[in-house]
Amino acid sequence: MVRNLVGLKARLTWNGIRDDTQRRFGFPIATLLLGGAGWYLANGYLEAAEGMSPVALANLAGWGALLFFAAWVTLPVIIFPLDENLDPQQLAVLPITHREIVTGLAVASFVAPATVVPVLVMGANASVLSEGWWMVIPASLVYLGLLAVGSQLFSAAISAILRTRRGRDIATFLILGLAAGSFFAYRSIDGAVTEIGVAAAVTSHPIIDWALVIPPVAAQRAIVEAATGDPLGALVFLAAAGLGLALLAGLWRRLLGWMLTTPQEGSRPAARARRSGFTSGLWGVVPTLSRKELRFYVRDPRQRLVWTGTVIFVGLAVAGTVMGTTGFFDIRDNDWAPLMAPVLVLFVGLPIALNLFGWERNAASYLFVLPATPRQLLLGKNLAVATALAIETVLLALLLSLFTGFWQWTWLVGPLAVSAIGCQLAVGNFVSVLTPLRLPREGTDVFAQSTEQGCLAIVSQTLSFFTIGLLLVVPSSIMALTVSFGRPIPAWFAATAAVAWGLLVYGVSLWLSSKLLRRRLPEVMAWVQVV
Amino acid sequence: MTQSLTDEPAIDLVPSRPAVWSRGLVRKFGKTTAVDQVDLSIMPGEFYGLLGQNGAGKTTTIKCIVGLLRPSDGTVGIGEFDTWAHPTEVKSRIGVLPEEFNLYERLTGAELLDFTAAMHGLDKAEAAKRRNELLEMLDLGNAGSKLIGDYSRGMRKKVALGAAIIHRPPVLFLDEPFEGVDAVSARLIRNLLQQAAAGGTTIVFSSHEMHLVEKLCTRIGIMVEGRLTIEETPEGLCKLTDRDNVEDAFIAAVGGEGVDHLSWYETSSG
Repeated sequence: MVRNLVGLKARLTWNGIRDDTQRRFGFPIATLLLGGAGWYLANGYLEAAEGMSPVALANLAGWGALLFFAAWVTLPVIIFPLDENLDPQQLAVLPITHREIVTGLAVASFVAPATVVPVLVMGANASVLSEGWWMVIPASLVYLGLLAVGSQLFSAAISAILRTRRGRDIATFLILGLAAGSFFAYRSIDGAVTEIGVAAAVTSHPIIDWALVIPPVAAQRAIVEAATGDPLGALVFLAAAGLGLALLAGLWRRLLGWMLTTPQEGSRPAARARRSGFTSGLWGVVPTLSRKELRFYVRDPRQRLVWTGTVIFVGLAVAGTVMGTTGFFDIRDNDWAPLMAPVLVLFVGLPIALNLFGWERNAASYLFVLPATPRQLLLGKNLAVATALAIETVLLALLLSLFTGFWQWTWLVGPLAVSAIGCQLAVGNFVSVLTPLRLPREGTDVFAQSTEQGCLAIVSQTLSFFTIGLLLVVPSSIMALTVSFGRPIPAWFAATAAVAWGLLVYGVSLWLSSKLLRRRLPEVMAWVQVV
Repeated sequence: MTQSLTDEPAIDLVPSRPAVWSRGLVRKFGKTTAVDQVDLSIMPGEFYGLLGQNGAGKTTTIKCIVGLLRPSDGTVGIGEFDTWAHPTEVKSRIGVLPEEFNLYERLTGAELLDFTAAMHGLDKAEAAKRRNELLEMLDLGNAGSKLIGDYSRGMRKKVALGAAIIHRPPVLFLDEPFEGVDAVSARLIRNLLQQAAAGGTTIVFSSHEMHLVEKLCTRIGIMVEGRLTIEETPEGLCKLTDRDNVEDAFIAAVGGEGVDHLSWYETSSG
């Protein structure tokens, strides 16, 4: 059965590359990018391990195994998901047990370009701990199993949380916790390494001693013990890692069983919306389309998750304020700190602003058969994104003003936000029309998105963000000369120039992208529709 | 004064010109030709049944005409407008009931009807009135405030039909309107379509329910492997194929009278 599922995954991947233009380009790009990342990590590990004492090396190996595991498990959810073409819902109707589904999905998850990363890192690990050669293969296999099962379990847990209304309500706090926790962890590690160096930092925090209760570290310790000539110890830690793997797999199996038999709870529309539909309030093509979008921001769990991304910055701002005034988040002494809000919020809206039609999924064919002009379609969607970004900008600016106690430049947030939002929408319209991204079907797994699309999304979003940054050089330079460097430019001029620049860039983009959309409407629909 | 479904459609088409037309329509997907040189001329007020086996090219043809799929060759249009030269004018004159349920799952039925009405330029009061009447007539009164994602198949079909006709289009495209709906809903949809047809609406209808095709359609077009091979009245089709009813006539016309049993199912155990 496992062989069948691996074969199925390989066939789906190959067919995708053969028949889907997006994947044909995405697959090699993804493999190259991931290969580069794996090479960088493996090289970094080899360099850090050079000349280390056995104790330091053991702890470096332990920390490396733990951090790689944590990143592998969480990154698909936070940044881009792993390839998950095998939908458990479809497998559930076949005469196979949940145990077989779990095993099959775990093994099949390695039929993806991302596999190149652990392979390269584990190759480096085997080279560093070459004296334990006989344990490298079994322990690495258990570690790979932990990566696969841990990643699937984490994604499934987040999906399960988002399936229930209550879960969706607490998802915001989960993100806040993850953001603040990651930042604290990053600052702690960075602080220790900068202060006393890698070898001393890992030795003073001996993670390897906790191996029995942390399965990925146990797998690594098995190799370490073998390398230090303790075969019995190596076998004990291999067994501990294996037990951890079995426990995680069992948890995943239970969760999967629950998800396969529990339907997703829909959002409840507000009572007022239930009564009056769209007829209370603004009417007309653009406002109604915009209101439809805004309702989806609230009702679609994925979109809601995107918009609650602002809390990441709130979490980082709080953590930065608590941790001290040095480093990246040195915000407490700057009277212009609130002006960071429009720029920070741009990160939040990217997945929606750069993929306006992808979120329509199959309903694109409904929208595109309605007699709205391409300009009206873009305007309606832009108005919704701008509204959401404006609300989040105002809230974040107020919070930053409260944290720092500086209110002098808070009013300039408005004009800068118009400029920033205008530039983001300008780039977003082009990207949405030229390279729309297909989003996964709503249903069993909200993170079911292929790696190459995730990578394409990253490439496209990075390039777009770079372009948005370039466009923002003009207003941000003017703002900088208004609030700093001797303040040679009066504030009223900066405000007017920022607004004018934002509107100009947006206007030109709207005109051009409307023309493009008119030509490419069927292509956009074909790209975003979920098969 | 508001109009009912049996009044003349809000936007008239010229009676002497085809309401729906295609000239040399070709649509290819790679090396496969899904629609091959299709010439259609459907006159205003016709109830036209577009029939064919799965994969014959019916849905592709409809998608090309309504502006969702660009033809590889040929022209298509509604009344005096070419779909690809005047997309907005064409789309304001049509209502589409898609084969798949590509609706907004996270809107309520009432919201979907309002949204569609607003996009077609209806004023707010008229939209509210039509929405309420439609929900009542389609037996969705209580479900109007539920999300479409929570609807049954039949309810989705009904609300999609409501959205297709809320602006009283002169041309309606219906892809499998009776597929998967219960008998009560099917009767309701049928009555609604007959009212619309009686009011002069041109209906292009694709279905595998041959008894309904026979009952409703004034003319039938049969597609085989992307080509429009026969255009006849239901009676004319029966006469042409020497069959008693449209179902038998259709099967004879598409050459579907082949092997109809499985050898390995004839024994009692496998």
